[in-house]
Amino acid sequence: MIVRYESWGAWVKLESTAAIVAIDREGTRALGLDGGEAWHDARTASAPIEVHLAVTSRCGAGCSGCYLDARPDGVVPPRAAIEEALDAMQDAGVFTVAFGGGEPTTRDDLAELAEAARARGITPVLTTSGLGLTDVRVERLRAFAQVNVSYDGAGETYASVRGFDGAEAAERAIERLAAAGVHVGVNVVLTRDSFARLRATLDRARGLGAREAQLLRYKPAGRAASLDYLARRLTGPQARALPETLRRLSASLCEDGGFRLRIDCALVPFLSCDEEIAGDPARLTRFGVLGCEAAGALAAVTVEGRVAPCSFAPATTLACAALARGHEDDPVLARWRDWVDAPPEPCASCPIRATCKGGCKVVASFLEGAHGPDPECPRVVDFRSTRSDAAV
Amino acid sequence: VSDDRPVEPRTIEEPLTEHIERVRVGHGANCSSVGSVIDTLFATAAVGAAVFAAVVAALKSEEVRVAGRRGDKK
Repeated sequence: MIVRYESWGAWVKLESTAAIVAIDREGTRALGLDGGEAWHDARTASAPIEVHLAVTSRCGAGCSGCYLDARPDGVVPPRAAIEEALDAMQDAGVFTVAFGGGEPTTRDDLAELAEAARARGITPVLTTSGLGLTDVRVERLRAFAQVNVSYDGAGETYASVRGFDGAEAAERAIERLAAAGVHVGVNVVLTRDSFARLRATLDRARGLGAREAQLLRYKPAGRAASLDYLARRLTGPQARALPETLRRLSASLCEDGGFRLRIDCALVPFLSCDEEIAGDPARLTRFGVLGCEAAGALAAVTVEGRVAPCSFAPATTLACAALARGHEDDPVLARWRDWVDAPPEPCASCPIRATCKGGCKVVASFLEGAHGPDPECPRVVDFRSTRSDAAV
Repeated sequence: VSDDRPVEPRTIEEPLTEHIERVRVGHGANCSSVGSVIDTLFATAAVGAAVFAAVVAALKSEEVRVAGRRGDKK
């Protein structure tokens, strides 16, 4: 296992079972370990445990909502630049690197890059559209701990999210990867169209060999930062229905342990309207659910090698090479964390605040021009509605 | 990883579970936002206990390497 000492104890990445564990000082001592300098360090911000690394901005898919605005003539950083970024992540104690872009499988050196990450103690994972995923390219993916294929549903459901029908290619990719023994999952973007067909989409993905589905909130970044966002995002009733939907899907799809269901950080605020979850928020913490960790446990690195709070946020001037020290000192990253530390109502009194951390700042910035409580969170909607009624 | 020296197997008498603050299961593979396993949240207490039991067993048995700039010694 790989131990990273923190002021509160330690993060531990296990190797015999796929898990990352936060353990307090007493527990760390019980393992015979001592945090030493880290336990006497006055630092307030820790380095990320997960980094999303754009290994290219080249992609021919042309998804209408691409957050990176990736294009066929995009940038492909040299392998040496990627390895330097991995060096910086190693220095910072990063546990997981997610390769993305752009379409990462257009690189010929993916297998080498995955091995380079592993050699540095970093677990490599990857997201792909599955377009053009030949057997040769599948072979390059064997070194990754997991590969997720973007799959929002069959036929017209896929097309409604991405603007073209790439469902068949994605389905073939899932099958090929599963047949090759790669641990494969799917990323499902939730829009008002895809949400309605979610169960069928997950059934289909599982039948093709996917072992996990990660549900993603549609976000207004890149080509999706337009008025069209308002017509594609989940409706208010759909957002409120998410917790019960997750409960039902978990009971029917995951009980045998052969399939896992994940949600992304931006969907966490929608859990605030569920009485059972809000009534026992410590359970969210215990089972490792993370809300907005932009500039915290998460960082993104652009194709130009600049650090961003997350993949959807503008890059800072911080070079990835300076990640270990700069993650704490960079003023832009610090501002993202500062808001989380002292949010206004209704986040300040929200039972799941410690996990949610105020919801998606990218959504808030797009809709309201600044960091603030996530305007699509049911709790925020109700709070503002009550204040509006009181003012009348 | 700045120090990959293996350490001696540990003898742990204290119950570890109460000192585990959070467990993030699996790797996830999304390159644009952090994912968290959610099905365990809705699972029975027995399933949750099994997750923690597996983690404790691994903590007790795996060799230790120290990562990052902060931890330059065991």
